Amino acid sequence: MKATIYDGFDNHDADCRQLIQAVTAQLEEAGYEIDFLTLKDMKIGYCTGCFGCWIKTPGVCVLNDEGRAIAKSGIESDLVVALTPVTFGGYSSSLKKALDRWAPNLSPFFETRGGEIHHKRRYDHYADTAIIGLLRSPDDEAEKVFESLAARNKLNFFGRMFAGGVVTAGDDLPAQVGALLGQVLKAGVEK
Amino acid sequence: MSEGKKVLLIVGSPKGKNSTSESLGLYLLDRLRESGMTTEVEYIYPAVRKENNLDKLVIATDCADLIVLSFPLYVDSIPAGTIRALEAIAEHRKSAPVSGQKFAAICQSGFPEALHNKIAVEICRLFARDADMEWMGALTLGGGGVVSGKPLKEAGGMVRNVIKALDLAAADLATGSSISEEARSVMSQPLMPKWLYMSMGNLGWYIQAAQNKVLFKLNARAE
Repeated sequence: MKATIYDGFDNHDADCRQLIQAVTAQLEEAGYEIDFLTLKDMKIGYCTGCFGCWIKTPGVCVLNDEGRAIAKSGIESDLVVALTPVTFGGYSSSLKKALDRWAPNLSPFFETRGGEIHHKRRYDHYADTAIIGLLRSPDDEAEKVFESLAARNKLNFFGRMFAGGVVTAGDDLPAQVGALLGQVLKAGVEK
Repeated sequence: MSEGKKVLLIVGSPKGKNSTSESLGLYLLDRLRESGMTTEVEYIYPAVRKENNLDKLVIATDCADLIVLSFPLYVDSIPAGTIRALEAIAEHRKSAPVSGQKFAAICQSGFPEALHNKIAVEICRLFARDADMEWMGALTLGGGGVVSGKPLKEAGGMVRNVIKALDLAAADLATGSSISEEARSVMSQPLMPKWLYMSMGNLGWYIQAAQNKVLFKLNARAE
């Protein structure tokens, strides 16, 4: 099983390193082969919303950079774990830059799901996805917004399993990571 | 009441000029100028592509009494480059606090329902909180493709509610008030029935693909 980790941190302080260590250890223990991507060091351009990946080169971004590999990881990996500092309740710009480049994985066509309009899927298989946000100190408002954002993403990312939530820096961080990843990892092992 | 106050429009669309975000923002800016406010426009994407230019944008926010961010919805949230700019502004505020600064937002998406924009607006609200600005609320629009970057006055009768909402919001902001529930409600009205928007949208993809000679590859998969 292959897992891709998106490291959406720009500064690797002790809390961040603890989170990365906890996630990596739990994925290895579950038997995943890990591809670790430090997003800030990658050549990834901003999605410009040009729709080229839908109506010029369908399925492939017109920007020829490492953003194409990011999109591929979303369909070729068994699991994508995205890590980010909680930023105004959402994702860091580094992680968001990568997730914006997933657009080629979707079809341009609309469909109705749950009473709302969304884009159709392009592929039969998508990576299971877990998005984990790190808070330096408890922040209920930010945590709620983060979880709501992850829940909205769930509607668009098509992964069979999905976990999205916040962990707070502290001694029990590995246990918090375990609680978030548990369901996804169990499902991966059962495949 | 806001005579002489300065409003800064920040356009958060990667398309920059001639984008729907710019169109909505400029209309609001015109109304605020008519109320006696002085106005200025900055574009995020040329700035974030070169960090030196980002510094210039961040400094430009220092002397604004009101900042209005207008942006498109990308993957349920704010486009990455625009988040980058917000990160830089919030960081700058730690060493250069500005008292009494206000922040409002306009968020539009290509989905016909305005509700898709809800979380992006919440992120804007928390940005204002973290940057020590007063949150003035947001307008959310679905079906932004109808505007398609045109100046609102040229976009036809379908956008009459958009214009009405922006007029109402300008009146609120010009008097120092938050964007009213009425303005927010009018802006979020569907521009057309969902089934029609979906049909027109899907037809539009076929037409554009045909123009690019990829009509039969629309569902292609990356190799």
